[in-house]
Amino acid sequence: MIDTIAIIETNRELTPGYRLLTLNFEQDIEARAGQFAMLKAHAAFEPLLRRALAVYRTPGPRQLSFLYQVMGRGTQALAELGTGGKVEALVPLGNAWPIGDELTAFSSLTGNPPGPAGEATQSDQPHKAIVVVGGIGSASVLMLCAALRAARIETQIFFGAASERVALGCGLEDFRALDLPLRLTSDDGSLGEPGFVTAPLERYLGEGGGAGATIYACGPWVMMRRVAEIAASFKVACLVSLEAPMGCGFGVCVGCVVAVKSDAPLGYESYKRVCVDGSIFPAQRIRWEVNAMTH
Amino acid sequence: MSKHDSRLAVEIAGIRFNNPVMGASGTFGYGLEFAGLIDLNRLGGFATKGLSARPLAGNPPPRIVETHGGMLNAIGLQNVGARAFVEEKLPLLKQYDTRVIANVFGYSDDDYLEAINMLNDGEGIAAYELNISCPNVKEGGIVIGNSPVAAARLTEKAKRASARPLIVKLSPNVTDITLLARAIAEAGADALSLINTLVGMAIDVKTRRPRLNYGTGGLSGPAIRPIAVRMVYEVAKVVNLPLIGIGGIASASDALEFMLAGATLVQIGTANYYDPCVTMKVIDGLKDYCDRQELESLAAVVGAVVEK
Repeated sequence: MIDTIAIIETNRELTPGYRLLTLNFEQDIEARAGQFAMLKAHAAFEPLLRRALAVYRTPGPRQLSFLYQVMGRGTQALAELGTGGKVEALVPLGNAWPIGDELTAFSSLTGNPPGPAGEATQSDQPHKAIVVVGGIGSASVLMLCAALRAARIETQIFFGAASERVALGCGLEDFRALDLPLRLTSDDGSLGEPGFVTAPLERYLGEGGGAGATIYACGPWVMMRRVAEIAASFKVACLVSLEAPMGCGFGVCVGCVVAVKSDAPLGYESYKRVCVDGSIFPAQRIRWEVNAMTH
Repeated sequence: MSKHDSRLAVEIAGIRFNNPVMGASGTFGYGLEFAGLIDLNRLGGFATKGLSARPLAGNPPPRIVETHGGMLNAIGLQNVGARAFVEEKLPLLKQYDTRVIANVFGYSDDDYLEAINMLNDGEGIAAYELNISCPNVKEGGIVIGNSPVAAARLTEKAKRASARPLIVKLSPNVTDITLLARAIAEAGADALSLINTLVGMAIDVKTRRPRLNYGTGGLSGPAIRPIAVRMVYEVAKVVNLPLIGIGGIASASDALEFMLAGATLVQIGTANYYDPCVTMKVIDGLKDYCDRQELESLAAVVGAVVEK
């Protein structure tokens, strides 16, 4: 993790409200799929806090790109910066999406068995990936999909957005370019199947698509909660990437917590920090009834 | 090896600090979290996250909300507990040339004393900072910090139980902070730190609910600095104890305001979140100030605007 000032290469709008920010760093910088950065316009007084953005891709050894939705004061301030602008960056942060062999180690670190719903270990190593994207949740999973493809792990992507325009803003073209099986949904029916992305997912699992699979999901809280329910009902392992309003992003303020199921005495372990214990968690570990996200 | 500028050296209650810059409780974890970001050996000191006799889980989320020039927090005093701090965190801090202040709280006088007794067993703690003012706890803290009688009683007991100097951290959520300051000073505190956060609230107009799960929270950050400076100034006029100034400090200039108002040391809190290296920048800025003002010691400015 480094705290540095990066220079903006480009900060372009994909569709209104959705932008791609590419930063140049003075040193080699690495980020793994699922990690994020805390960003803020250099020397800006308002808004006070940095904003957490997922690393979308790593175009070069000294470059990071962030796909983001303009949702409030912080992202609006970032949207107004142009090429050559300076951005304070604390990066890389959080844990990374585990794939293949990494899944076993991940489960043991989080103290959770790799099986769904906290059940006993599956006898088979998961050999398939199902990626579920909801809107700007796409920002967290493009690198994951690329890594799965490079590792030759069979992957099926479900990509849902409010509309075709929003889907394009959420990087649809980049996901198409992966050339992996891709099923699309849109709330308004302008793209793919009308409705929520969880509908084709549920049908797919119903047809046996979940055998030997791990589900990776990122999107709105209610979407991930629904994916967790579906995964549990079909007994498929599921990982989610969460976010939460963040103060520091590196584990100190203890503000960005999510409620988790805990057996610890006095419930001490009841909350985990999304920024250092996550952002990636086993879905069945989360207490979904306590909403930790603001959207 | 002398990496410390002697002009910045300061001593209070028999404790020598390399410089007056400290990390504030609740914003600096247990210190180790910053080891990869700043040179902990350069930092004057820091106050740990508030420690209780038993570990605490804290409040459900949302726990924080950004405001204008600040933020509200309702963390709920989540901490590993005094015992775990002594056994697991403290040994790792010994290698650093920085003063470790253990911040302590409890839900009753006995609770505080139990935590202090646990901390007395630890090696490497320079002083205790008594949190009597956390606005997020429904009992204990909020009552003690508002009452000169209760605060004095607790201070007296805590002083007797403490193996180290005792700093008491004042709440600003009172009508007249000088009453608390005087009572606590007379009860035997070795120093006072002020201010803690101010109770505030934010409401989401779309959902029609408070933005924090707990409802209210503590306001911190640059927005509160004028209130904090004023309170340090008022307290400096009526007590002779060393003061530690806290409230929205984000630069050397901010720190100097507090020193001129009567603070010998300062604590930096919220600024660490959005500028993790701020403590180092403030130390550098204080050195520059000494250069420009041709000061032999920063002590020369402490309380310079205070008429006693």
